[in-house]
Amino acid sequence: MLICTDIWKIFGPTPEKAHAALAFQVAADKLSYPDHVVAVRGVSFEVKKGETFVVMGLSGSGKSTLVRCLTRLTEPTAGQILIEGQDVRRMNDEALRNLRRHKVSMVFQNFGLLPHRRVLDNVAYGLEVCGVDRRTRNDRAAQMIELVGLKGWESKYPRQLSGGMQQRVGLARALAVNPDILLFDEPFSALDPLIRREMQDELLRLQSTLHKTSVFITHDFPEALKIGDRIAIMKDGQFVQVGTPQELVLRPRDDYVRAFVKDAPRAKVLTAGAIMSRDLRGRAPNGRTVPSHAPLQALLPMLAEHDAPLTVLDGGTPAGVVDRAAVIRALVEEDVARATGA
Amino acid sequence: MATRSFALPILPRARSSRPWRIASVLALLAGAWLLSLLVPSLTDQFPAHWNLGLREAVDGFSRWVTSNRITSPIFVYFFDPLSTGIDAFVRLIENALLGAHWAVIIGITAIAGWLLGGWRLSLGCSLGFFLCGAMGLWTQTMQTLALMNVSVLFALLIGIPLGIACALSNRFDRVLRPILDAMQVMPAFVYLIPVVLFFGVARVPAVVATVIYAIPPAVRLTSLGIREVQPAAVEAARAFGSTRWQILRKVQLPLALPAIMAGVNQTIMMALGIVVIAAMVGAGGLGREVYLALQRLQVGRAFEAGLAIVVIAIVLDRLSEALSRIDLTQLPSRAAGRAPSWVAPLVIAGLTALCVIAFQDAFPGEWQLGLARPVDGLVRWTRDNLFFITRPLSDFITLYLLNPFRDLLRDIAPWPVMVVAVAAVGYFVSGWRLALGSAIGMFMLGWLGMWSQSMDTLSQVLVTTAITVVLALPVGILASQSDVVRRVLRPILDFLQTVPTFVFLVPVIMLFNVGRVPGIIASVLYAIPVGIRLTELGIRQVSPEAVEAAKAFGSTRAQLIVKVQLPLAKPAIALSVNQMIMMVLAMVVIAGMVGGAGLGLEAVIGLTRSETGIGISAGLCIVILAMILDRITQAWAARQR
Repeated sequence: MLICTDIWKIFGPTPEKAHAALAFQVAADKLSYPDHVVAVRGVSFEVKKGETFVVMGLSGSGKSTLVRCLTRLTEPTAGQILIEGQDVRRMNDEALRNLRRHKVSMVFQNFGLLPHRRVLDNVAYGLEVCGVDRRTRNDRAAQMIELVGLKGWESKYPRQLSGGMQQRVGLARALAVNPDILLFDEPFSALDPLIRREMQDELLRLQSTLHKTSVFITHDFPEALKIGDRIAIMKDGQFVQVGTPQELVLRPRDDYVRAFVKDAPRAKVLTAGAIMSRDLRGRAPNGRTVPSHAPLQALLPMLAEHDAPLTVLDGGTPAGVVDRAAVIRALVEEDVARATGA
Repeated sequence: MATRSFALPILPRARSSRPWRIASVLALLAGAWLLSLLVPSLTDQFPAHWNLGLREAVDGFSRWVTSNRITSPIFVYFFDPLSTGIDAFVRLIENALLGAHWAVIIGITAIAGWLLGGWRLSLGCSLGFFLCGAMGLWTQTMQTLALMNVSVLFALLIGIPLGIACALSNRFDRVLRPILDAMQVMPAFVYLIPVVLFFGVARVPAVVATVIYAIPPAVRLTSLGIREVQPAAVEAARAFGSTRWQILRKVQLPLALPAIMAGVNQTIMMALGIVVIAAMVGAGGLGREVYLALQRLQVGRAFEAGLAIVVIAIVLDRLSEALSRIDLTQLPSRAAGRAPSWVAPLVIAGLTALCVIAFQDAFPGEWQLGLARPVDGLVRWTRDNLFFITRPLSDFITLYLLNPFRDLLRDIAPWPVMVVAVAAVGYFVSGWRLALGSAIGMFMLGWLGMWSQSMDTLSQVLVTTAITVVLALPVGILASQSDVVRRVLRPILDFLQTVPTFVFLVPVIMLFNVGRVPGIIASVLYAIPVGIRLTELGIRQVSPEAVEAAKAFGSTRAQLIVKVQLPLAKPAIALSVNQMIMMVLAMVVIAGMVGGAGLGLEAVIGLTRSETGIGISAGLCIVILAMILDRITQAWAARQR
């Protein structure tokens, strides 16, 4: 769906030269080039249809620049971007505009709403620039506003809305053009913690029915774990590690990733299948079973009730066993992979 | 980019040490003086044969224009039709305004005021126009209004598209910016000369000159408004695949509307600012009244006409300012908003209709408000009774400030020394680049054949600025400390800023007679409001945290001012000095009209006697002086930061 290969973005007077020097130098230890800032450094990834791909990094790591490179809001210095097989960097202005109008929509950190337009006109903006007639676009916009739960607010101006509501407008606006791909640039970072959680749940609710291919940028690791099918940890313009939330928590590649993982809500992220012991001998099925994708927090009440181990079912057949000790170990120990020998 | 803003360690500049630099500059100065002692023939006066010959070339060109006016295709096919068109347009508007019943005009203004601001504005606007009529200046007011409308319309039609182009293209902006700078610094007189040359004498050159003068703010504010639209909104529009034109029309222009309207307001104010000057090339109306009264020294008459200009300025300022306050992001939504009430407009329309029936077309003469006579009496009384103050003051300024300083710059210091000295100042406040620029500028003054006049003007400008600064700073500091002082000063400063500069001259001449002093006093009056305002603003804008901290440590009021507020306000105060010097320079020509000598006088001669060459040379010299002084004071102000 979306394939990026070796994307670079260098800011400065002669980015091409800097790229040539940095990318093709055999000694990769050279990190900087005088007078230039390397924002994105040879990043490659693939996002599958319907998948939510999260890029997590601290500020200055280049994640916002990366997401802007995807539709060339920021022109990448080098690399290839394929969206549904089409090479974005070879598109002319017209083709690029059509890509932005019909295929890819974006939700912004500071909402990017147009302050002089009412909510309805903001949501209809994407359709308006494509030349959709007023009646059709207003109908569609009204549907989207209802979808994000803002019915009744259509004729308010953005500044009359709270931050969370403004971002709902941003979401509705992105959905109105029915894009194949959604790009989120730290959409919930500007919101209060409670509202943020509410918006995350809202997004998950929408995604459970819409299944849009998404690239989601965030600096908040718990948010990445909650939203992402796969997560890329970005640092200094590069991906440090890419994997599912569980993979990152179980097998952080280095100390940088480990620092994030340390406070992860392990009971929510880890699954029974990941920590089970495959040794089934001597443990007859006692009727207490859990599916292998069940998070550990679902196991806790059952284990609290009774001491006997649980049988983990993978597609209906017993695949392994989990006991109290294994769960407790998984919740407190950082390196579960080593502990279970998986 | 956030990543770039990491503070770099401040490296010591690789420059020679300060005493060494001072010594070398002193040596250079001494060398220049020595040179002038050795070769007095070359340095006593700027060598007359070192001349660019601009004056002759311009005079030749103006002779060619005069003799080819009727035949040359440039005039037959370009300037004459343009001229005829503009003239017809102004006449059309003028006849419409004069043809309408006076009550109708006042009624329309009242309704506009009501729609834009409410009953206060409505009442204020109608009273303003009524006052103009009551002073017996209805016809002139309408003539001025017609000229203004046409000029402002043209200025906006040209300025707003240029502003949009500036905002969208950095290259275009870079090209246009210095031109705009020059247009604003150049005294209006200077381009009146070529304008008269091309368009003749009457309404048209007045319109053209006003348009030229009023365009810069329209361009600047439009460009600024568009550039300051939140980047997030523009980026979002881009992300949804808007074309450039769609972004401009649907996002940038609507969001820049308040700034553009502020530009309209500024354009109107600029245009009103040269109403009197426009009268010198044949525009009628209020400007002409002031100009004629000034020539005949009829203070009362000039006062009335000047007051009418001020009144119009205030009315138009408030109306257009109300226009710029319309904020598209805050309009009440159509469903929830109040239904516009038609009661007040209907009442106004009814009153208007009554007046139309009750009174004749011309403004009733029996409502005359005779302001002229008391003002005349007051001025006469002051002249007769206050000469014991005005006389010594005038003598003191002339004998102890102006003359010694002028002699120093013009006669005692040989010109190479002056060039080196100005360059040295440039070097110390900025660097060799500014030093070189200033030196070239100083040379240009000589090359244009205006060395001694330029030095005369320079001495007057510096003395005037010094007086202004000495007066403005304490008042500004006082105003920043006391809200009472501030409230008392506000209407006075407002008045000083809106009164056309000529109006100052009349009472000043009455009191001080013709010469350099009235020009200086008028310039001080013109420049002082800006100085006071910027000083006050600078001090008031000092961060409240710093002030609070100083208070918490038990500073006295005086300590607070001296140790915290003044040092922190230094950049703003330095900037106010820059502004004052520029305002004084803008008055050079007007000072020249009342005997100020120097470049101003030459410019006036150029305009009134059609000596195009002299006029343009003098104008250029004023611009050069302005640029040198502006750059030096700007660099100095930047160093205070």
